[in-house]
Amino acid sequence: MMGMNDAWLLAALPAGAFAILLIFGPYLPRRGDWLSIAAIGASFVLFFPVLADLLDKIATPGALPGLSGWNWIEYAGFKLRLGFAVDQLTIVMLVVVSFVALMVQVYSVGYMKGDPHYGWFFTCMSLFAAAMLTLVLADNFLLLYIAWEGVGFCSYLLIGFWNERRSAAEAAKKAFVTTRIGDVGLLIGIIMLWRATGTFDIRETFEAARAGVMSEPYLTTAVILIFAGAVGKSAQFPLHVWLPDAMEGPTPVSALIHAATMVVAGVYLVARTLPLFELAHPAALNLVTALGLTTVFMSATMGLVMNDIKRVVAYSTINSLGLMMVALGSGQVAAAMIYLFAHAFFKALLFLGSGSVLHATEKSDVRELGGLWRKMPLTATLFGVGVLAMAGIPPLSGFWAKDEIVLSSSQHQNAFVYGLIVLSVFITGLYMARLFLLTFTGEPRDRHAFEHAHEAPPIMTVPNVLLAVLAVVAGLVVFDQVGEALGFPGGIGKFVYLAEPEAFSFHGDVAAVSIIAALAGVLGAFYFWWGEAKPAKAAGARFPFVYALWKNKYYMDCLYQALIDRVVLVFSRFIAWWDRKIINDTGVNGSAALAVYSSFRLKFLQTGRLPNYAFAIILGVVVMAIVAMTVLV
Amino acid sequence: MSVEEGVFYVIAAITVMGGMGVVFARNVVYSALFLILALLAVAGIFLLLSAEFLALVQILVYGGAVTILVIFALMLTRVQDMPAALDSPQKPFAFLAAAAVLAILILAAVGTTWPGQTEKINAIPLRDFGDALFRTWALPFEIASLVLMVALVGAIVLARGEDGE
Amino acid sequence: MIPMQHFLVLSGILFSLGVYGVLARRSAVLILMAVELMLQAVSINFIAFAVYLAPDAFVGLIFAVFVITVAAAEVGLLLAIVLRIFRNQATANVDEVDVMRW
Repeated sequence: MMGMNDAWLLAALPAGAFAILLIFGPYLPRRGDWLSIAAIGASFVLFFPVLADLLDKIATPGALPGLSGWNWIEYAGFKLRLGFAVDQLTIVMLVVVSFVALMVQVYSVGYMKGDPHYGWFFTCMSLFAAAMLTLVLADNFLLLYIAWEGVGFCSYLLIGFWNERRSAAEAAKKAFVTTRIGDVGLLIGIIMLWRATGTFDIRETFEAARAGVMSEPYLTTAVILIFAGAVGKSAQFPLHVWLPDAMEGPTPVSALIHAATMVVAGVYLVARTLPLFELAHPAALNLVTALGLTTVFMSATMGLVMNDIKRVVAYSTINSLGLMMVALGSGQVAAAMIYLFAHAFFKALLFLGSGSVLHATEKSDVRELGGLWRKMPLTATLFGVGVLAMAGIPPLSGFWAKDEIVLSSSQHQNAFVYGLIVLSVFITGLYMARLFLLTFTGEPRDRHAFEHAHEAPPIMTVPNVLLAVLAVVAGLVVFDQVGEALGFPGGIGKFVYLAEPEAFSFHGDVAAVSIIAALAGVLGAFYFWWGEAKPAKAAGARFPFVYALWKNKYYMDCLYQALIDRVVLVFSRFIAWWDRKIINDTGVNGSAALAVYSSFRLKFLQTGRLPNYAFAIILGVVVMAIVAMTVLV
Repeated sequence: MSVEEGVFYVIAAITVMGGMGVVFARNVVYSALFLILALLAVAGIFLLLSAEFLALVQILVYGGAVTILVIFALMLTRVQDMPAALDSPQKPFAFLAAAAVLAILILAAVGTTWPGQTEKINAIPLRDFGDALFRTWALPFEIASLVLMVALVGAIVLARGEDGE
Repeated sequence: MIPMQHFLVLSGILFSLGVYGVLARRSAVLILMAVELMLQAVSINFIAFAVYLAPDAFVGLIFAVFVITVAAAEVGLLLAIVLRIFRNQATANVDEVDVMRW
């Protein structure tokens, strides 16, 4: 019987597919796309017995969570175990990752058709799925870190998938380097925890932390460093700059990696280690809230003025990730995870929808689009569902999930935070509706692209439809009745929340405020951008400074560029000089030159005449004999 | 001084004289002849040490084969045509080195107390010797014969020269 | 009775003469003869040790047999080499054969 102990299979199947594709991919029929899809499909199917087993175990009190794994290193008291564990957090991530990955890969069959590196794309996708599933299944920090870097590497490969385009190569490099800054923090944090507790195991670390083996400042430093990893991976301020550029990759990649799965790994990491955050100084959680809030606000405003359809969706992703961080900052794991769950579906839907637009028109700038609903009614409808879900219009999933976060901020945070969150709901409605209006309504601004446009093939629309259905209904799981009907005792909120049971709740007043904000946003968008979009242009002309600030992404890219030019490159030049002059010329070449010179001198000792050598031998024997007779006796 | 000792001193003197002749003679043929003298005298020493078999082998192998070979080599290389160039310029150093070696050897021989030393020569019966050589030392003996054969073949190959010569 | 040291001293003298010959002579054949002297010295030592120190094992005697064997092989081989050098370099003087030099 499949159970939790076999959960490692979920990650092993795509890994096996990756290995086969890597070696035999080019010789397989259809470049092996079916193998990749079959592997992730099997992972998705295997998810259900794992879930059933977990529910059984939870029903019986005292049963241990499923563990499997093997000892990697065992040496003189040092033990390193690579293990897999399933718990409630993992389950949420598993279903999101396996389902979205399956949908995206099916979609890619249509989207990537005819690409010269079609097989390589699916190879990378399999590797990504394997790494991502390992990341969520890992029961220790070390395996988690390995998988963490694995998904980062896949992200690098896939952003730079069309690396013959310079901008794509640059974006891949930027994403990799930026996330690395956070990853270094994560690694240091993990090492700090290991030094204090002597274990990499996550549960054991918690127990040790509860037992108080770490002083508060030490623990606080460690969790903030771990949070740094999450900041990089989940594109939080100030490391958010890579995610919009990551849209250079193929759209399915954006949907899977940069919307539904990899970028939420940071949220997952914080949720996973939240017990440590709670034990640490409150400053740690306040930092999470503050950065999340900054991210929410900045991304929302930037989303208002961007013109690239995928970039707008990317800013909405950063926005959502910020919201999740705010929820975690309030200690609300359930709210964050439910938002993560719902967000994965509607954000993947939005990306795949914009991918369909891109596929049909080969344009991604909304200034060149418009009126597309006449050509692509199905895509327009599905995209509209995604937009409304993201905007938080009831009864779509986005509303229920966002409501949890708004509620938690109203209960656990001060009025300022709450106000900003509500404001961000308004702005989200504004820019999401703007995106829809500019893309699908009005008069086509580029005749040629419009004539060229066509509805996407079924292999692309079917995953979209499935995602749209989930985007509509996924939010309903917040109701305990729905959760119990699905077999989760006491509702999903209780199920997911690790520390203490807390059901999802629904407050009419809070919900009303957020509905009003979202509706105001959507309607405001109609006012600003319907038709000729004159009010929007007028507003832009009236506040040129604000417009320029948003348009230039708060000048953060400029700031970083200046930082790199002024500081990093100067330092690098010094290192390069040091390496060339001191290490190379003096150290390496110097010693070689010394050897050459001295051997050039010493070679004259070699006369080549046998009697000289014989004389040397005799001399040596005499010396040795004298030594033996005088010193040794 | 016993008779034995007297015989020893005589043979030893002949040996040393032969050796000096080998290294000091101004004529290479004389050197070769002195070598034969020295070798035969060493055979005498072997007899004094009651190693009759080895003395026999010494005379057969050295007195016969080796000296003949050496004289052949001298003839073929015509060393005797250039008597002026017999000694190398490092001769003084050679003398010093040899003197040092001599001093060390004599010091070692006289200054060491040899464990288990007997005062008389213990004759080893030829039967025991043969027994040991062909039983205990059979394998090294066979290997030695192999060495000889390889050397022989090698010498022929080397001396024959390249094809067409 | 002859003390063992007598034989050892004789062998030492013989060996030193050999060393001198090897170092002082130029002709390869003459060097070879000096080497033979050294080998003789070694043989005398072996046999003296065998009969004075370990008459029951007499390993030295056996060794002397091998010394003679190997010396014979060596003489044959070396003379072949000398002939070879003489043919190629038109000399048998080892200090004129310095192709091993830098």
